[in-house]
Amino acid sequence: MSKPKTSLDFRKNSVEALADTAMREAMRNSTAVFSGHREQGFSTVPDLESWRDRASDIRSRVLDNLSEYVDKFAANATSAGAVVYRAKDAEASRDIIAAILRDRGAKKVVKAKSMVSEEVYLNAHLEEQGVEVVETDLGEYIVQLAKERPSHILAPALHKNRRQIGELFAKHLGVDYTDDPEVLTKIARKVLRKKFLEAAAGISGANFAVADTGSIILFTNEGNGRMVTTLPRLHIAILTIEKIIPSLTDLSAFIRLLPRSATGQIHSSYMSIITGTRNPGEETGAEELHIVLLDNGRWDILAGECREILKCIRCGACMNVCPVYGSVGGHAYGSTYPGPMGIILTTMLEGMEKSHPLLDATTLCGVCADVCPVRVPLLKLLYTLRERRTKEGLVPSLERTAMAAFGLVVKSPTLFSWGQGMSRISWPLLSKIPGSETLERLPKPVKDTFRRRMS
Amino acid sequence: MTRENTIDIFLKNAKSVGAGTVLAADLDELKQSVSKIIEDTEPVYCPGKTDKEAAVIPPEEKRAPDYFSAQATVEEVFGAIAETGSIVCSSQDGRELQAGLLPAHHVAIVARENIFSTLDDFFSSLGPEIPTNITFITGPSRTADIELTLTVGVHGPERLDVIVC
Amino acid sequence: MKTQLFATCLVDTFFPETGEATVRLLRHFGMDVEFPKDQTCCGKPPNSAGYTYEAKEAARHFLSIFHGNAPIVIPSGSCASMIKLHYPEMFKNEPRMLEKAEAVAAATFELTQFLVHKLQAHRAGFAGNGKVTYHSSCQLTRELGVREEPLLLLKSVNGVEFLPLPNADRCCGFGGVFMAKLPEISIAIADEKAQAVAGTGADTIVGCDHGCLMNISDALKRQGNATQVKHIARFLAEGL
Repeated sequence: MSKPKTSLDFRKNSVEALADTAMREAMRNSTAVFSGHREQGFSTVPDLESWRDRASDIRSRVLDNLSEYVDKFAANATSAGAVVYRAKDAEASRDIIAAILRDRGAKKVVKAKSMVSEEVYLNAHLEEQGVEVVETDLGEYIVQLAKERPSHILAPALHKNRRQIGELFAKHLGVDYTDDPEVLTKIARKVLRKKFLEAAAGISGANFAVADTGSIILFTNEGNGRMVTTLPRLHIAILTIEKIIPSLTDLSAFIRLLPRSATGQIHSSYMSIITGTRNPGEETGAEELHIVLLDNGRWDILAGECREILKCIRCGACMNVCPVYGSVGGHAYGSTYPGPMGIILTTMLEGMEKSHPLLDATTLCGVCADVCPVRVPLLKLLYTLRERRTKEGLVPSLERTAMAAFGLVVKSPTLFSWGQGMSRISWPLLSKIPGSETLERLPKPVKDTFRRRMS
Repeated sequence: MTRENTIDIFLKNAKSVGAGTVLAADLDELKQSVSKIIEDTEPVYCPGKTDKEAAVIPPEEKRAPDYFSAQATVEEVFGAIAETGSIVCSSQDGRELQAGLLPAHHVAIVARENIFSTLDDFFSSLGPEIPTNITFITGPSRTADIELTLTVGVHGPERLDVIVC
Repeated sequence: MKTQLFATCLVDTFFPETGEATVRLLRHFGMDVEFPKDQTCCGKPPNSAGYTYEAKEAARHFLSIFHGNAPIVIPSGSCASMIKLHYPEMFKNEPRMLEKAEAVAAATFELTQFLVHKLQAHRAGFAGNGKVTYHSSCQLTRELGVREEPLLLLKSVNGVEFLPLPNADRCCGFGGVFMAKLPEISIAIADEKAQAVAGTGADTIVGCDHGCLMNISDALKRQGNATQVKHIARFLAEGL
């Protein structure tokens, strides 16, 4: 695997990304498709704002009472037959899952797409323990073959074109090269069907978890989620605590918004409500269900001023409309989650020191906040985090000095005028300072300023 | 909303997501539509547990012993939701949801009286004890993971037919 | 009616003609234009970069010069939204300053807001010529909600053919400090905006924010495109 990109290298990553013409074309195509679909999906909705209000309220209510909802979920899932674990961090969750598999001698696992499993680097850990983990979502399967991380939370292989995917399949699966998406999909269907039927265990995430019933909810289009959770006798689900919603009646608010927000569909092809293990007399359902409830920093985030990021339902709309994400793609962020929600969540999960350059990755255009179905105040959170970054001193010293100078000059009209004159005179010199090439993109300050004309 | 309206809306929405749709007035029409839909397909699996299923069991030559080896499954499902054009499968009464998942073609029969108008109607109809698996199916299996080009028939069925009877 | 003009530091320093055009427009509609000469900057650059202290310094100065008893007219969506939305937020824990901030915020108008809602300028019958298109800047559109007013004004100009810009409200890539900190991405985004402008066949692109216009102008130049770039104040004032 090529050296993984880090958030600290965001600018360098983005410069490399901008030179990747294949990726840029893929991103341009996807931006257009996503926006068209989204518009179509919401065009027939009579009262979108009240839908958003309802969803936002439910998410807020959960965050305000999270402890209670987590306990309720755990209790109900347990009485339905699941074994529920509370994992404090990534390492704990990996260890729990590895132990479950080891204790049952399960060496072959099929996996439905789970961003949380990416967050904790589950696959690598299991593979080290000698477990074969096969991603079954087509996009995840593609990036798994390429030994890359997903570049988008819904469409993991968004950055790749059909030729690249064709080459991957030819190289790794021993099939003739084709770049026809239909043929490639059928190849994947055949290969993965075998894996589904052979697997000893299925690992999934969960889009939501329902406190009242102890159910986990899975949305997919491909059907791999259903296969992973019903074909092997052992099912392991990993999810973070903020995914809980109070009851099944609340689920309709999210069914209405998630697919439309994500891909413009009224409903994804499949949605499963999985409640515990198979009951006597039933012929569908896992015989063993293990649910790992992961914290990994959520309680800390909940206690802070950016807690509203936990309302996120992972629809991907914010990154689909983001001009920065659209230009550089997901890998440049060097994080599990890219785009606007990714900047915020990563800064909170990884800490400011490791991820502060991500806070530059926004023009503060605000379109992300506009499209968020659950009203996460993304724009406000970005401002808040920039403020925090300055307070923590993680800003370039030249910038800090310039801002301090600004703070003095702005209060004094005399100094301000003087400053205008000085910058005009020194403009040719200023733009020679390394890092100041931007000045060449700006016009020169004028001699006859407006204030002079008005005096 | 009248039952007729609900059925109409359901069929319209199911069609818009790529399901084949049929409204059968009685068991005879049901038999005819099923025969027509699976006329070129074999082998076909049918659980044969409900009355409607019993009416449409395929002839011996076409019959699959199980859903693993079947090209198509014909079965009655729990219900449907008009608002989204979804059918609802449930694991209660020993139903095997895998039957409608593994074969390439799923033919789902829905009783007219089991169509819910909205998602809220469906969820409020559920009692305190719910089955292990409730799955909504809205159209055939699909993906757009390659260049966001829609391809139908990934892991689940490539073809879904819904018959309201 | 008395109005207070806040020119903005970009207009003052780089584009004084926009300030002059704004004055001409307001006077044309019978406004008395007061230009408080001690004005400097609204504080948007430090505010968006996360420098709260410096942004507040700018705000305090602004609030010591401008009052809430006469409309404050500003030829910039980002400055107007700074004052209307961010000033009250900044001082939410300082009751005296908050009172001032709220009064001033209530009196603040972005130029096209004022022209349309207070002066009915879209009925005035401006004259012009050529093909014009319009970029809808981010804070103007999404923070202030000013979407229709500039379009009403542009479409009311006799002799001008209005050509809509695809994705008119998509960011141009300026983003204040963003353009300096991530210039490569800024240029990439600006290039797409410029290509969209070129695709309309317009001979002039009009906008309400000089930050955006500078960035778009630079991109058009880079692409060897001669489309003119004009602030809406100048475009309209030319047709008086």
